[in-house]
Amino acid sequence: MRLYHFTEMPYPFVPPEAEEAHRGLKYFMPNRYYDPVLGHQLYQRYLDEYELADELGFDLMVNEHHQSASTLQVSATLSAASVLHRTRRGRVLVLGTPLPHRESPVRVAEEIAYLDAVSGGRIDCGFVRGVQGETFPSNQNPVHNLDMFIEAHDLITQAWTRDDVFSWEGTHYHYRYVSVWPRPYQQPHPPIWISGTSTRLVEWTARHGYTLCNLLGTYEDTAASFRLYRRTATAAGHPEPGPDRFAYMALCHVAPTEQQARDIGRKLMYYLKPGRLRLGAASPPGYFPPASAVAALRGRLGAVRRMSYEDLIDAGILLIGTPDQVTAQIRRLYEHTGAGHLILMNHAGDMTSNEVRDHLTLFAREVMPAVTPLGTDWRDHDTTWRLDNDHTPVRAVLSSALS
Amino acid sequence: MNSLLFLHDADVLPGPVGALRLLADDLDVDVPRHPGFGTPHDATTAHWDSVADLAQHYLTTTTDTPRHLAGAGFGGWIALEMAVRAPHRFTSLVLVSPYGVKLSGPTEPDFADILLLDPTEIIELGWADPTASHDLRMPGHPADLPDSDHERAFADRAALARYAWKPFLHDPRLRRWLHLITIPTLVIAGSHNRLVPPRHSAALADLLPTARYLELPHTGHYPYLERPDEFHRLVRSFLRGEAP
Repeated sequence: MRLYHFTEMPYPFVPPEAEEAHRGLKYFMPNRYYDPVLGHQLYQRYLDEYELADELGFDLMVNEHHQSASTLQVSATLSAASVLHRTRRGRVLVLGTPLPHRESPVRVAEEIAYLDAVSGGRIDCGFVRGVQGETFPSNQNPVHNLDMFIEAHDLITQAWTRDDVFSWEGTHYHYRYVSVWPRPYQQPHPPIWISGTSTRLVEWTARHGYTLCNLLGTYEDTAASFRLYRRTATAAGHPEPGPDRFAYMALCHVAPTEQQARDIGRKLMYYLKPGRLRLGAASPPGYFPPASAVAALRGRLGAVRRMSYEDLIDAGILLIGTPDQVTAQIRRLYEHTGAGHLILMNHAGDMTSNEVRDHLTLFAREVMPAVTPLGTDWRDHDTTWRLDNDHTPVRAVLSSALS
Repeated sequence: MNSLLFLHDADVLPGPVGALRLLADDLDVDVPRHPGFGTPHDATTAHWDSVADLAQHYLTTTTDTPRHLAGAGFGGWIALEMAVRAPHRFTSLVLVSPYGVKLSGPTEPDFADILLLDPTEIIELGWADPTASHDLRMPGHPADLPDSDHERAFADRAALARYAWKPFLHDPRLRRWLHLITIPTLVIAGSHNRLVPPRHSAALADLLPTARYLELPHTGHYPYLERPDEFHRLVRSFLRGEAP
């Protein structure tokens, strides 16, 4: 199992009354609440933590959101450039670039190829649809989100793999001359990751053989998505997908005692506050099929946000406890879902840098050696998620917790 | 009998609602549902993504006999697009607080964000008396509808977004052709409309060479629903060519 350090780089200094007045920290938050000096200090601190995580043996993940006080990462490729520059060893997972929200897929192809070239192939390349609310900062039509995602992907992979100048006159993107310099260092292109749960997207990911990532879903929903992937992939003629095709993101904090871990780990709930966005932002027109939009309306979507702190720990969405307890939680995650990549959201809100550093150091010393071997010899094991053992019917999954 | 083609707004129930039922007493009133509203897009309409597509659709599917054209809100935008393309096809034009034409600068939105706001907010901005609102369907409104009706409301919103997301609720190419609309035109606005402010409708009327502007007191974005008798009287006398 590969383990990734991740922070969304939040800006934790927005007054609660401003958060209340603007229905949360995202998309519609006036930037007068941002202090340039505090922001600079935060960026340096977060990059220092990436540097420590790299030295401790973690791989590294970056992302992006827009017009949001809960994420100061504005471009996953820019963040990746910063993290690559500060680190020497770990892979840097860009998860991800929200393709429908970017005006130019060719520019995405160039930026990823650049990162791959300068790092000598340390890049994993994630593509995402962009969470619902990002529709408003980007102003791209949500009705076309998934079609734009797929067309942008098709254009980018061709830009990486064709060796001549070509034209792209598609539905959403138009270029008369495409020939991306540099070409990626990893040939034919860096590993591609996709995050999402919608049936169409999971099936598409499986047919392409890309790595599928579930963000903060219940283990049951995660296992259901991965089940759909395994069956679609084998139906398309691929060999049985191993754990390296599946990733899960959880919030994590370890400490020497359970009480200490729970006291500090409670700060991770920052990301699981109940959403207060208007329905139009939580479920933009056409982003979801109508049945899923009604599920969002009825509160059946994002159920994770309504779970208590204790229930989230029991469910393993919060990996919180002593090193032994968290090791057991991660074993359970692997046994249940077959995920071979674990992204650890090791920081949230106003958690201090020392709290993050103590956690990273303890995790690296006591949990990492115990869980790294998970999944390496999966073909020898008779786990419940192996295709031959798994007869549970495929069912649709609505959405992960984040919006 | 004279006929009236009335193009409906977003979020309004289908058919001859409010004053349209009264107008149907002495007019043949046709209130077609826009493609994508009420029914899914089909193979023909699957790739339509602009109000120009809808205007072209109505110009090619309705008869050549001159008739009265009217539209409210989103339907008013479609009617404007039709009128600049084929002014000779219509005897008159009635516009009720139409979207479609941007008049303010880039940092000043002309219209409320009906694709973001909650139904309660849209009703608050769109009615002089929000407690009396009726004949509207939006995702989650009214709350007691079965899931299938809410699914339909979400699908209708998706259809609206397909046509109107960007540029938001307007076509930058429309304003430059408004001078072609020289048929008798009546622009109606409600004094309490904060979805499309009355000053926007008044300024739009100024750009239409032959338009008359009428502001109805104590009414919002849906005067044909909120004050149907008065709306009926005004439109009927306009269509008969009577002096105001």
